[in-house]
Amino acid sequence: MTTTLATSFDLQQSTTQPTLILPQKLGNKLWAPMFAMSLMGFIVGFGIHLAKAAAVSDGAAAAEIAQLAHFGTAAMFVGFVSVFSGVTFAIARILGVFRVGGGAMQLATKHKALSLNMPPTGKAFIGLMAMGMMLIVGGIIGHLVVAGQVGGSMTIEAAELLAIKLEAARRLGVSFYLLSIGLGLATITEVLRFQSLRIRELAS
Amino acid sequence: MGINTLVEPAAGTSAATVLPHTKRGIALGAIGLLIAMVTVVANFSAASALEAGDGVAAGKTLAWSFGLTTLAFGTAKVGIAVILVGILIRIWFRLDAVKATMPGLASGASDSYRVGSTLTTEYGAVSVTKEAPAELPIHKMARTMWAPMLAMGVMALLAGTVTAFSWSSNVGVDAVAATQSAMWTQGLQFLGEAFLLSGISFLLGSILGQLRRGGGEVQLQLGLPVVTLKMPATAKTFVVLMMLGLMAGIAQFVMYVVGTTITDPTQIAVAGAWLGPLRELSLGLLLSGIVLALATIANVLGFQFNRLNGIVAGA
Repeated sequence: MTTTLATSFDLQQSTTQPTLILPQKLGNKLWAPMFAMSLMGFIVGFGIHLAKAAAVSDGAAAAEIAQLAHFGTAAMFVGFVSVFSGVTFAIARILGVFRVGGGAMQLATKHKALSLNMPPTGKAFIGLMAMGMMLIVGGIIGHLVVAGQVGGSMTIEAAELLAIKLEAARRLGVSFYLLSIGLGLATITEVLRFQSLRIRELAS
Repeated sequence: MGINTLVEPAAGTSAATVLPHTKRGIALGAIGLLIAMVTVVANFSAASALEAGDGVAAGKTLAWSFGLTTLAFGTAKVGIAVILVGILIRIWFRLDAVKATMPGLASGASDSYRVGSTLTTEYGAVSVTKEAPAELPIHKMARTMWAPMLAMGVMALLAGTVTAFSWSSNVGVDAVAATQSAMWTQGLQFLGEAFLLSGISFLLGSILGQLRRGGGEVQLQLGLPVVTLKMPATAKTFVVLMMLGLMAGIAQFVMYVVGTTITDPTQIAVAGAWLGPLRELSLGLLLSGIVLALATIANVLGFQFNRLNGIVAGA
């Protein structure tokens, strides 16, 4: 069985309790604030869009409607970037529990603590998450800049064009995040496969 | 073939087997990303057309680009669901391994937990019972509903993609038909997205149910008091957010269908101004629930490792 583990997985071994690695520490600390921020973003964004609907209904100036649309979308995507980050941080937290809990169990049975080195899926998970976050945050900043300038130094037409381009950036960001979440879950699958085999080894 | 067989190991597989779910899930996620890249190019092309004064060409491109974008997101979500199915199978193998080895690892020291008591631990309140805890209704529901939700999600998403192309072909030709197709596209596709996220939520609920059942079985097998975490606040809030999100997803679809009967341009503009954000709010609530479900899984796993270590060390 040892041969199977050594050849199937990239492992590190320790005689002391494995601790959380940086992304797992961040996951532990940040999933809850991200969750709270996401709810705030969604509620504020929806509120601003309701104000926009009222402005459309009242026949308000096009610049005012465009401004509300950009502010509303920015707030809504603060919600989305937070919620996707919350999901990825929660996945990192689960991976941390497996690492620390699995290590403690091996040490409790008088064995060395074997744990997985970060697999390629784990590395890609972090990389894609960062790319997704940068794209969406860039989109949010773009919307706020447009909202601040439309009706003043920026025409409605220019704001409309930028809205289409910013939407493209947000879309790509969401896609990166979704693939990143899939990779994070794939890492959990690999950890489970390793632990199922390692547990049987502990009895020998 | 029953739904439950999908989340159990197939004949001839073992804990060492590399299951196909992960590769398939990642492939679907990558396909989603590629489709989204196509729509990014489409958006920039539409912006150029608009800049050149060709509003009709821009409108046509933006219409099909919208449909493909939502299809891209949906494809990636189906990929996530496939990986979660693989995780359910992996948890089955893990439970099997724990059951096989714990009798040889348990210290045999008397357990400090007393049957009938309720305690507070660092992981939350726990109940101590003689028998394994019964399956919670929400876990039963999750086990039954994840597959139908995913199937309905895929169907709604594909139907919406078809209407997106109808919307695109009607831009600049028939304004009423274009508006109606636009409403159908947005309503159907976001109903599909809400179903897909609900399917993912139910899969996460199934994972929680399997962890609860497995934990009970292991302790019972060892002849120990069965210590089970009571449903934490994060799990209760997860259920509430999921239900709210799903209801908002269904409500936006109904309102878009009603919207297809509106002919007054101002009313259509007003409806569009708040229905779009409502559909986003629906997905936001579902995703927020998923964060809490994952956090609950982390907490349950932490508790179970703690309990297993206690059994091994005789604490």
